[in-house]
Amino acid sequence: MIRFASDLAAAQGGDGEIRAGGTDLQERRRMHGAAGPLVDLRDATDGRAIEVGADGRVRIGALVTIAELAADAGVRAGYPGLAQAAGGLATPQIRAVGTVGGNLLQHTRCWYYRAPEAECLKRGGSTCSARKGDHLWHACFDRGPCASVHASTLGMALLAYDARVAVLGASLATVAELYGDGRDATKHNLLPDGAVLSGVDLDAPRRGERSVYLRVISRARAEWPLVEVLVRLGVEADAVAWAKVAVGAVASVPLRLPHVEAALVGAPATPEAMLAIAALAREGTDPLPMTGYKVDLLEGAVADALERALVEQPVGGA
Amino acid sequence: MTGGTTRRGFLRTGVGAALTTTACRPTVGAERAPEGTPRQAEDPGRERVRVDTTVNGGARAFDVGPDESALEVVRATGLTGAKHGCGHGACGACTMLLDGTPVTTCLLPATSLHGRKVHTVESLAEGDALHPIQRAFMVEDALQCGYCTPGFVVEAAAFYDRWRAEHGATEPSRDEIAAALAGHLCRCGSYEAIYRAVGRACAGTIPAGAAAARVDARDKVCGAAIYTVDVRVPGMLHAKALHAPWAHARVRRMDWSKALALPGTRGVVDLLGPSRLVRHAGQELLAIAAVDEATAARAIALVELDVDVLPPLLTMESATAPGAAPIYPRGDRRDLPNATEGPLLPERWDGNRRGPLDLLSKRGNKAERAIEEARSVGFVADGTYYTQVQCHSALEPHAAVASWDGPERLLVYLSTQGVHAMAQDLAQRYGLREDDVRVVAQHVGGGFGAKATLQSEAVIAVELAKLCGAPVRYALDRRMEIMIGGNRPGSTIECAVATDRAGEMVGMRAKATSTAGIAVGTVTSILFRIIYPDAPRELSDFDVVTHAPPGKPFRGPGGPPAFFALEQTIDALAHARGEDPLVVRKRWDPNPARKPLYAWADSIPAWRDRGAVGADTGRHRRGIGVACGAWFAFAEPRARVQLENTPDGLVASCSTQDIGNGVRTSIAQLVAKRFGLRADEVFVRIGESNFVHGPMAGGSRTTSSIAGPCDAAADELQAELVDVASRRWRLQEAEATEAGVRHEGGVIPWRDIFRVAPKIVVVGHRPRDKGGYFLPPVQGIAAERYVSGSIQLSQVEVDTRLGKIRVLESWIGLGVGRIVSPALARSQAEGGVIQGIGYALYEERRLDPRAGFLLTAGLEDYRIAGIGDVGPIHVHFDEHGYEKVPGHNVGLGELVTLTPAAAIANAVYHATKWRPDSLPLRPDRVLKGLGR
Repeated sequence: MIRFASDLAAAQGGDGEIRAGGTDLQERRRMHGAAGPLVDLRDATDGRAIEVGADGRVRIGALVTIAELAADAGVRAGYPGLAQAAGGLATPQIRAVGTVGGNLLQHTRCWYYRAPEAECLKRGGSTCSARKGDHLWHACFDRGPCASVHASTLGMALLAYDARVAVLGASLATVAELYGDGRDATKHNLLPDGAVLSGVDLDAPRRGERSVYLRVISRARAEWPLVEVLVRLGVEADAVAWAKVAVGAVASVPLRLPHVEAALVGAPATPEAMLAIAALAREGTDPLPMTGYKVDLLEGAVADALERALVEQPVGGA
Repeated sequence: MTGGTTRRGFLRTGVGAALTTTACRPTVGAERAPEGTPRQAEDPGRERVRVDTTVNGGARAFDVGPDESALEVVRATGLTGAKHGCGHGACGACTMLLDGTPVTTCLLPATSLHGRKVHTVESLAEGDALHPIQRAFMVEDALQCGYCTPGFVVEAAAFYDRWRAEHGATEPSRDEIAAALAGHLCRCGSYEAIYRAVGRACAGTIPAGAAAARVDARDKVCGAAIYTVDVRVPGMLHAKALHAPWAHARVRRMDWSKALALPGTRGVVDLLGPSRLVRHAGQELLAIAAVDEATAARAIALVELDVDVLPPLLTMESATAPGAAPIYPRGDRRDLPNATEGPLLPERWDGNRRGPLDLLSKRGNKAERAIEEARSVGFVADGTYYTQVQCHSALEPHAAVASWDGPERLLVYLSTQGVHAMAQDLAQRYGLREDDVRVVAQHVGGGFGAKATLQSEAVIAVELAKLCGAPVRYALDRRMEIMIGGNRPGSTIECAVATDRAGEMVGMRAKATSTAGIAVGTVTSILFRIIYPDAPRELSDFDVVTHAPPGKPFRGPGGPPAFFALEQTIDALAHARGEDPLVVRKRWDPNPARKPLYAWADSIPAWRDRGAVGADTGRHRRGIGVACGAWFAFAEPRARVQLENTPDGLVASCSTQDIGNGVRTSIAQLVAKRFGLRADEVFVRIGESNFVHGPMAGGSRTTSSIAGPCDAAADELQAELVDVASRRWRLQEAEATEAGVRHEGGVIPWRDIFRVAPKIVVVGHRPRDKGGYFLPPVQGIAAERYVSGSIQLSQVEVDTRLGKIRVLESWIGLGVGRIVSPALARSQAEGGVIQGIGYALYEERRLDPRAGFLLTAGLEDYRIAGIGDVGPIHVHFDEHGYEKVPGHNVGLGELVTLTPAAAIANAVYHATKWRPDSLPLRPDRVLKGLGR
């Protein structure tokens, strides 16, 4: 069964899995032999724009492609970290088709979730195979019972921007609420059945902020991250005035590191201070037996991103 | 788990002989769909959606299923240039332009094509005028097997158009090219040439009229080359297999009655064998043929199984633990899957451990004593090294299309490295005359050793075709290609090398314990003897069988693990002695072919000017490492090449096949040179088993096997044509030259003689090596009296904060004799180095440690090197030596894969003082090694 929704509102109702670009859905359906009904957004004309409001706020439609987001001049100028994150994920061909909404709502890449042979809490199983099995690429913030990490780079990036979500048919308000605390092992996000994510809202860029996205991978390109970080800093008079630090691929949901952010406020804008504060990224980690290295990577990645942010071009000029 | 099927109801096929060199089980049962089963699939849930689109400029309407991919729909129209590679958007082989933008069509719903414009690789050329990117790929040899090429070309052409629009005729950086092509993978490792091709095309520096490096390059860049997966024959059925999800189980009953009742299903074959045992996850239990793939897949899902799942032994530790049940009980140890080339020798078994194989040990006790003595009066380097399981994962999966013409004639399109050998094996298995079996492989999308034996894909297609009376196609998906398509065994190698105070090698010990899953025959430590002096040595190899898929020969079987251990041990010894690692090797090296390479290596500034070990102390530390390699030289003495003249040129034929090694081109060039022709004036017919005997594409023996026959055939044909010309033009003292027939009055060009000569057919044989072979030919393969030689240097940068190793630059010097096709030899060398980078840093098959199913099930999680992962690679050939071999050369395909991991590990040591012992060198291992 397939139904083509004429706009995003028409996709509501929960009578099928919603398909936008299909870059995650198609592989999953094939792998799991799923043939359930589909609600396809091919014909939806709304949700395809990046609009700037009079107050400087930005609405990113759910059907904007990742490539469009990465290339958008306004996003690059006002939200460089977000543009870097969009341009750094997946491959050019995937970014050309995959959408912002699809990226936020994609399912975990956990190899047990993807393996037809495996028992998995997210597929109705009673145990997490990764926890007792091979979890080399899994969580180092163990929210239990699912050991997987969330796959959405944009979700992590938007969390650093305190972005709000526009949802039809449910009252979710923020990206943070979209993901929750990750303790419900059966869910990839908290969007209720039948509801439709129509877009993402960002506040106007903060003048003078510096942002950096960093993706830690083993190869040069085109890889799911071992750890990823988005850092935003406001620097005034050679000291950090405010900071937002989000991290991904370390927990079943994207996380903010509030203790790192708190320590940054008032810290001198020097590489030495950034390196020292990055050590706080280890706080709260409770790695699985095979993911202890991710704690080291996390500290290194946060240090790297903070150091680089200091020398980034500030938004709107110095 | 119900149903009353009994074995009595099965139609026996009478095919019972196990294949001695494969993992196949004999077929014990088969059943056709009952008479009443509707012939066509009629699935009420099979909804169709009308899609109006434009393909390559022409309006097209399709009725597609909701989940069908754009790739499937477009390929079904006959536009088979775009390939199914991975099925999850990682390899990019399926790339097409959607409204001008490259997209991966394996993930693109076909319904999305509605109202859009699609362009495939077939539309890039306008008439005869190729896109500049296509020309550049041809000239720079930016392709090998060609399977990924259509995707790369489509993407690169889009990049070229953008680049030219924005930057004019300027050259993009490597980084810009890598960013644009990040969504493509090439398993042969053509990235260096792709950088050159894209860079020079953008800069406009490809000369007009420059020749293609390969005679089949045009077909490959235009998407016209036909691979087995592209073959469609009328009335063809599609097969799917049921793969065991458990690593160890006893199957009590398989009930396929519901599957056979499904409309469109035609028949089933049981593949489990008389033991009814499952010994690894992924093992094929049965296969079903149906009118289309979707129906076959639905039928598979209807099979009911009654199974005892048994505890698996998945690691070498558990398989050799006290009390571990033998995977092959005594009496069940014959006809085991063979992980290596050559026959299995009888060896001792101890539970699940088999060995030692210690043929090349010599004065082992003395070696032990010398090593112990050297600890106080000399130098010893010892250590234990661990290597992972590496999967061949050629981009074209194992695939076969089989059809019978009556009960005694069989045609199989097969993605294979040996059309001739496969025809022989099929004839033997089915009791047919060899002439009545035809195996065809026009183009083969990579093999690397995994397609060198008769395997289940052929058996499934052939059996089902026989049962159903219709052609049957079967191909592995990527998941199963990685799982059962073939792998290089994982090894644990304990080794020690000792010198006396003066620096002479006095003893060597290596004990390798390897697991090839349910296969045996691993050979690793023996390779320690191939390279250094004839010192006392204790070399032993053991297999440990586990409940994992069978290992297969993989490009230089045993080599990359052995050299990873050996060449790090030598490096450690040199550092312990305070000597230059190159000087130590040069002193010990008995191979004359490698001698000139030492001077070449020493002249490389990055090596000559290197700092002390661990001199870099910052976050990013650079180092350079060296490793030497050596490999056996083989030839097929029975190889032949048939040559005939036509009015327009020459036709050369031989039952070999081009898996990306370029033999089609080598034959053309060898023959063309003798007649003063261009390579494209020699039409080469290969990829058919019924031509004269040609070499298998394996064991680095293709070029060295066909060079002699090409020359012999040219000699013979020229002699005949000289006669023809002499008679026709009444020539005196005529003789053959490259330009034509020379006589008293001048030279008659060969082309003029071709126009008037009757058709003459000659067959050239391969002369023996002067001085004979090292061993008399075994199974048609002769070991020559030579080993090839190589030296590799790798420069790396280690990010000590994020645990990442980047290979900045690589140099490989090769002593393999005379190079037939310089461009192709360079491509193969670069490809070997690139595969080696993947092996050193990224590639690793991981199974669930408790149940044994595959975790790294696609090309996202099974990570091969991408274009951004390879720094510049410099290839140097020293063409001396090997004068006694016909053609004056030995193979290089395996030699080039041996040294990368060792050279990289030695470079990491040079950069950081940390000596890696485990592959791959993942970030977590680097951080741990550096003491984070």
